[in-house]
Amino acid sequence: MQHQQIGKALKRVEDPRLTSGEGTYIDDLNPIGNIHHVAILRSHHAHANIKEIRTEKAEKMKGVKGVVVGKDIAELTKPFPVGVSNPVKYYSLAINKVRFVGEPVAVVVAENRYLAEDAMDQIEVDYEPLPAVVDIEEAMAHDAPILHEEIGTNIANQRFFDYGKTEEAFEEADVVISHKFKFPKYSATPVETYGVIANYQESEGQYTVWSNFHGPFTLQSVMAAALNVSSNQLRLIVPKDVGGSYGIKSGVFPYIVLMSIVSRKIGVPVKWIEDRQEHLLASSSGTDRVTWIEAAVKNDGTVTALKMKMADNVGGYIRAPEPACLYRTHSNSTGAYRIPNLQMETIAVMTNKCPTGLIRGYGGQQLYFPLERMMQMIARKLNLDPAEVLNKNLIRKDEFPFETASGGIYDSGNYEKALKTALETVKYEEFKEKRQKAREEGKYLGIGLACIVEPSGSNMGYVTIALTPEERAKSLPKSGCAEGATVSIDPMGGIKVRISTVPTGQGHETVSAQIVAEVLGVKPETIKVIAEMDTATSPWSVASGSYSSRFGPIGSSAVFQAAQKVRTKLLRIAEHQLKVPIQNLKISNGKVVVQGHEEKQLSLKRLIGTAHWNPQDLPEGMEPGIHESAFYTVSTAKSPREDDTVNGSVTHGFVADAVTVEVDAETGNVKILDYVTVHDAGKLLNPLIVDGQILGGLAHGLGGAMYEELVYDKNGQLLSGSFMDYLCPTATEMPEITIKHQETLSPVTPLGAKGLGEGNTMSAPVVIANAVSDALQPLGITIDDLPLSPNKIWNKIQESKKNITALKEELT
Amino acid sequence: MNGNGKMELPGLKEDVFNSLLEPELLQKCMMGCKKLEKIGENKYAADLSVGIAAVKGKYEATIQLEDVEFPNHYKIIVHGEGKPGFVNAEGVIDLSDLENEETLLEYTYTAEVGGKVASIGQRMLGGVAKLIISDFFKKAKKELQRREKTD
Repeated sequence: MQHQQIGKALKRVEDPRLTSGEGTYIDDLNPIGNIHHVAILRSHHAHANIKEIRTEKAEKMKGVKGVVVGKDIAELTKPFPVGVSNPVKYYSLAINKVRFVGEPVAVVVAENRYLAEDAMDQIEVDYEPLPAVVDIEEAMAHDAPILHEEIGTNIANQRFFDYGKTEEAFEEADVVISHKFKFPKYSATPVETYGVIANYQESEGQYTVWSNFHGPFTLQSVMAAALNVSSNQLRLIVPKDVGGSYGIKSGVFPYIVLMSIVSRKIGVPVKWIEDRQEHLLASSSGTDRVTWIEAAVKNDGTVTALKMKMADNVGGYIRAPEPACLYRTHSNSTGAYRIPNLQMETIAVMTNKCPTGLIRGYGGQQLYFPLERMMQMIARKLNLDPAEVLNKNLIRKDEFPFETASGGIYDSGNYEKALKTALETVKYEEFKEKRQKAREEGKYLGIGLACIVEPSGSNMGYVTIALTPEERAKSLPKSGCAEGATVSIDPMGGIKVRISTVPTGQGHETVSAQIVAEVLGVKPETIKVIAEMDTATSPWSVASGSYSSRFGPIGSSAVFQAAQKVRTKLLRIAEHQLKVPIQNLKISNGKVVVQGHEEKQLSLKRLIGTAHWNPQDLPEGMEPGIHESAFYTVSTAKSPREDDTVNGSVTHGFVADAVTVEVDAETGNVKILDYVTVHDAGKLLNPLIVDGQILGGLAHGLGGAMYEELVYDKNGQLLSGSFMDYLCPTATEMPEITIKHQETLSPVTPLGAKGLGEGNTMSAPVVIANAVSDALQPLGITIDDLPLSPNKIWNKIQESKKNITALKEELT
Repeated sequence: MNGNGKMELPGLKEDVFNSLLEPELLQKCMMGCKKLEKIGENKYAADLSVGIAAVKGKYEATIQLEDVEFPNHYKIIVHGEGKPGFVNAEGVIDLSDLENEETLLEYTYTAEVGGKVASIGQRMLGGVAKLIISDFFKKAKKELQRREKTD
């Protein structure tokens, strides 16, 4: 396809307003009069019974409208539904018991936030503290404190999967390698925190909520169910600008319900803007995970089977969309490799930590940390070069579309070429010589590699893999990735695009304008894209929203499809007026021209005018006006099959990373020398935005690798509750990054595009861990937990030196 | 978090023992103690105002004595609760005679915190606890010395 606009590195149309202070964020909104402000009282205890809450003093304070407590929520809402067979009762406020530090206990409504916070201090809560549990393995033990007595166990979901002939492969293996890995709990830290404005209109029983929620809009049904109303009685409006999310703002949904009820109970519209401490303490986060992984390997490095047992910590309550972190990567569990046999046990465990949800990479970093560490360990064990082991196992170019053991359909790729580019760019062989020389000088240089498949455009069906085939059979099947878009043209020719992809900084307005401009043969700057989401008026469906990098494959396709409908209508009008068959017409530069007879042409304005001002001249049977909505899904997004195979995502990109590091053995500090990342995300819709997304995703991955962790003590107290202790990488921590692209088009999307922006969040933790492991190989150090703080590395080095000294003494 | 320490105090251990449990002395020597009253046998209520890192706040505390073995040994259990969170601390105190009518006081303590004090103040906490405790005994020593002089 010859592209005019798609694929151009167009500057973002969003940026002028954002850089000039004209962005419209949730806290800028005052959409309704008489807004009151709230403060939320939160639990100091990780696990405790609430014996009594006394609110009288607070309620009597000047400017205070009222206080809402757990029993109000229990009366007016139902527990949030969640897709496991044994759900727990999760409400938006604690009822009788708290299960994590920061859990909301009461809400004060006052004339302003100051008064609300002062009144909050006057609420007295009597707690009866209970023993807490924070560790995954301890929470699974039979004598662990139980969080939810009604289900009698801390395990919220557990499944076993067996694909291919895993046991046979293990029997026939030359070598079996196994290891246990721990992945930490970390978060996403957008500059803008959660915000909700809620108004209950009693006469209509209608809740209207403005919030920086970005989907998935499956959660709209979860919220409506909790409020016990039909879905059109909960109108959600998302402001034009959202100050970043990286997944975490999907977790604002309990607060949408909470504020809805607060508005109803107190009788005024209410506004709540989360503060930074609340955000780190109690918003949401990724899961921490323990993985026991075992690989069956041939002597030449071929991996024939994998066994993985993975246990995710979903915090105090399992809540939607969990346990999806366990299953988002289910169909790409064997990564970029031709591994036909796979056994998996998946477990979601509840502990006294903050509940979890989406963060960038969702499940990918947790999966690839053990998998790609394992690939390096296999090479070490067999005395092979890690690059050789990766190459040996990579899916070949001619094997696409490739079906994985667990049912994933990798649409396209050229993995070997991407890895080759990465190795050449990082000067792999040259660096190995440098490393050798450095080792002789007592320095610790290392190189790490990682090859990862980046799934994008989630299939709604994958979440139901948490249920057994029998349980799934009891309800209707779920599948698809439906997204909508509307392209309309007003009587004077103004083109508008309405999207439901709820951008949180990814430049959807720019790319939508590029796509529609190309299809309609006009300039992108003439097109207005309306990204504000409104469940009452936007063209949306169950999968709408921004998550799983779905704009690239899905959102953009819906826009393209709607624009195509408009194009077809315009061409049909032209066909009628020019009396030339449609196949001889083309659109360019704002005109429809007859191919070969360029002098025969009609302006788009004229054609549009006909549809509005003179419908009589339209072809027989054609409706007036130009307003086309399109809904898009991909046929490979099917519901899970009875054998538990499922294709969890519609497109699968690829990332090959090569990273070099130097570890300072005196301080334990890791310095990244070079970070090379080669991406294949199919057709790049806007390369400028692409590189921005990649750098952002990489920064988040770097945080997971080296800095970020929500640290809890044994009593469930969060110890890293501010940016003093929860370290995020800033510009100065970012190493030199070299990005390279290859574009293997996807056959399942109309533009050949795939999603991107999460790949390095998935790959960076493990590729850096591989590089550090490589650097510290002479000391016999293996990295199996994160983040790689100087403190942690230094301790490992001391431990190893002690062991080496002891060994030497033993020998002499 | 835990720690220990020792200190030489003027006076016979019987006197030191009694003095250390006087509400007046406790209030005077405890950093940020705005109010302290005896509310029962071996039980006190106190209002404390303490700043740890950026977390300043007031705590309503109960102080309870256990395992009291006059004049040698007692255990002090502090539970404080306030806007910034809670503090649970336990101290064990042993007294023994020294020469020159002096007494050796040895203590060990453990403390746990919750809420904002933990999530924001964690990195400062060990140091702050040490400071508060050593400050208490320093002031107590001064107070005992003062009393000796005036006697």
